[in-house]
Amino acid sequence: MKTKLSLLALCIAGFSCTSAFAATDPVLLEQAIAKQEAELNKLKKDLAALAAQQKEQKETQDKQAEIVATTKQQNLESMFSKFSFKSYGSMNFTSDEYFENVQDTNPERRNRFDLERIVTEFGYQFTDEWDMEIEIEYEHGGTGASLEYDGFDEFGEFESEIEAGGEVIVEKAQLRYRPSDAIGVKFGSIHLPVGLSSMLHKPNQYLTVQRHRSEAAMVPAVWNEMGVGVFGELANFHYQAQVISGLNSEYFRTYDWVASGHQTRFEHVNADDLAYALRLDYGSFKQGTAVGVSYYYGNTTGNRNKSNKVEGDGTVSIATVAAAFVEGPWILRGQYMYGTLSDADAITQANKTTPGLKPGNFAQLGSKSEAFFVEAGVDLGQFTPVPITIFANIDYSNPLAEVETGTATKRYENTWTSVGVNYFPIPEIVIKAEVGLHQVAVSSIPDTNFFALGVGYQFSL
Amino acid sequence: MNNFKYSAVAFALIATLAACGSSGDDSSTPDPEPETGFEFAATEMITNLTDDVIVSGYAALATKGEEMLLAAQTLVNDPTQANLLAAQVAWKAARLPWEQGESHIFGPVDSLGIDPHLDSWPLNTTDLTTVLASGSGFDADTIKGWNDDVQGFHTMEYLLFGDGVADNEKAIADLTSAEADYLMGLAEVFRDYTKTLDDAWQISHDGQTGSNAYGEFVKNPGTEWNTIYASQVGVIEELINGMIAIVDEVGNGKIADPFGTSIDTADTSKVESQYSWNSLTDFSDNIVGVRNVYQGEFTGAADKQGLVDFVNAADSVLASRIGSEIDDAIIKIQAISGSNDMPFRQAILDADARVRVQTAIDALSKLQASLETDILPLLNEWKV
Repeated sequence: MKTKLSLLALCIAGFSCTSAFAATDPVLLEQAIAKQEAELNKLKKDLAALAAQQKEQKETQDKQAEIVATTKQQNLESMFSKFSFKSYGSMNFTSDEYFENVQDTNPERRNRFDLERIVTEFGYQFTDEWDMEIEIEYEHGGTGASLEYDGFDEFGEFESEIEAGGEVIVEKAQLRYRPSDAIGVKFGSIHLPVGLSSMLHKPNQYLTVQRHRSEAAMVPAVWNEMGVGVFGELANFHYQAQVISGLNSEYFRTYDWVASGHQTRFEHVNADDLAYALRLDYGSFKQGTAVGVSYYYGNTTGNRNKSNKVEGDGTVSIATVAAAFVEGPWILRGQYMYGTLSDADAITQANKTTPGLKPGNFAQLGSKSEAFFVEAGVDLGQFTPVPITIFANIDYSNPLAEVETGTATKRYENTWTSVGVNYFPIPEIVIKAEVGLHQVAVSSIPDTNFFALGVGYQFSL
Repeated sequence: MNNFKYSAVAFALIATLAACGSSGDDSSTPDPEPETGFEFAATEMITNLTDDVIVSGYAALATKGEEMLLAAQTLVNDPTQANLLAAQVAWKAARLPWEQGESHIFGPVDSLGIDPHLDSWPLNTTDLTTVLASGSGFDADTIKGWNDDVQGFHTMEYLLFGDGVADNEKAIADLTSAEADYLMGLAEVFRDYTKTLDDAWQISHDGQTGSNAYGEFVKNPGTEWNTIYASQVGVIEELINGMIAIVDEVGNGKIADPFGTSIDTADTSKVESQYSWNSLTDFSDNIVGVRNVYQGEFTGAADKQGLVDFVNAADSVLASRIGSEIDDAIIKIQAISGSNDMPFRQAILDADARVRVQTAIDALSKLQASLETDILPLLNEWKV
């Protein structure tokens, strides 16, 4: 009923409207049309203005976006310019003759592969004066434990296994403040400037396949300790002076003197005895020609975990003299290292009788120790199109040069003499081959031959 | 109404399932006792093995160490063939308790690193020759600072018996004064270490005043101050593992290493006690040491409790089988010398004797397997 009523009302309303238009005369109609046209034109103008405005806005926005993108890119670039990444590494094949035990005089040959080391170095330049460097080394393929499912073990078991025998080490973690070339300060875990291996440890910085064995038989190769050091250069002199954590004599052993006293096996480094290192070079070993001396001095008894087993300080002092001549095709480098250890007999005796240390046949310690190497090479790439360097090397070490009492055995007096080549297919990669003779200064132990192949790389971003 | 019914049923089901699930975690239900479990009161056995076998053995070693030093001193003061022979006898006499004691090489002999000081092998004859050539400074303190491979049993053996290649006899004329002096220094060092070892078991395990003797730790497991043994199970496990270790070493190391896979790969330089030709005695004494621990007394002594009593409580057949396997291994080792008393360093180069060597290795392997698979698991069945 209501619907019907509504329809009727609508019809009446429609009629009344129609009759209103019909009643208007032509003049009025024209006026109305003109008015509408004027309004339309105005609208068109407004539209055009709006379009122009929008276009302008878009252009501005585009410009802004471009600026933002450029700024972002610039930021990104400046971030990378502050960040540095370097890496080097080496893989070797060695073939040595070895003796099964102290009675054995018939050597057997043993061939081995070794993913010797992969080192990654991250750096960040906070400001012009402040920077940091962290070096992580993976030795012998790193190490790790993994969980394995063994379906054949009873009803199936998960087993945790040690996968590899290598090491992952933070070799360097230092902060540096360097306001000028003349002086800088570094602290954290820093490299000691004792021994050339700490400075020249990238594969293209030494000629032999493995690093110099002479140095490794006396001091930690690429030696890092916690501490603080000042360094700098004046004229062509480079100097370093450091106060660092000392060694622990509990792990001194016959075959490598104080090298294994490097406190890497514990979570914390005992620092009751500190050590001091100095170095002065004229020229730069890293860049080429140089001569230099270094000195290390530190006590070791205080750093023993059982410090009451030794009376006396167990003072280690090491002096080195080194020289390098790198000019044109010629490369000549050498180093002599001499060390003394006080209270060597007391340390030997303490190590023999400290529960758990078990040095066995490697307890006796040299009160004096010495080592040297000389390597000489010619870069044939300067004469021919082939980028090859040929070299000759001699390494000598005697960690048991003298003992406090009695006679020192010559079993640990070793000489390695070798010749070889370094081939650089591109400057960042070196392929090495070396063949040599290993002599022990005991007449009943025959000389043995070794050869080695190696490939190394290094680059920096 | 229907919906409500379904919900109620579902709820009841869930509740029931949840209840069942939780009853599975009920920890108040006792674990069932293993049916094969056995009972054994171990205190007497542990006390006896510690005092009468281990400590008594090290005490004997310390005494023989004293006697060895005296014999060496006598030899230096009066270098006669008779005194050289007497020193050889003293060496073999000291060798016996040491080799028998290798069946329980745990505790101070390991932790104080005494084993390599006394029994380092092989001997470094090259360095020894150099040391002897220097001809002076052979006092005990100096020798102690030198490496283990030029001191201990085998260095004394080399000086007393000669190189052992053709025979094990040495004429007094061949003993140089440097050798005699060095021997005397060595004997003193040796005496000191055997005393340290004996003291560690009887007086103080780490040589510090006020700390307990190692024997007390073994005899009193689980007591408040005992930081080494938490229970009798741990002590018995240590004893069984000690037996296994020496059976393994004799069979797979001392005998099998020089034996090689054939006459061609046999290597006399790896034979222990090759200078005195005492090798077979060493090896059989090692297994006699296993028998001492197993039986609870030295051969021929009155019966006391040993591991055999522990095994017997679980399985009497097994207990006597192990006893026979130990005896058999000793007999097979001794039989290597054959009818003409062949020393071990000759036996590994002799086709007939090699068959006997293999028989001994087999007997030792069998014993080792029994100790590992039959004896060690008894610890799980023991109702402590």
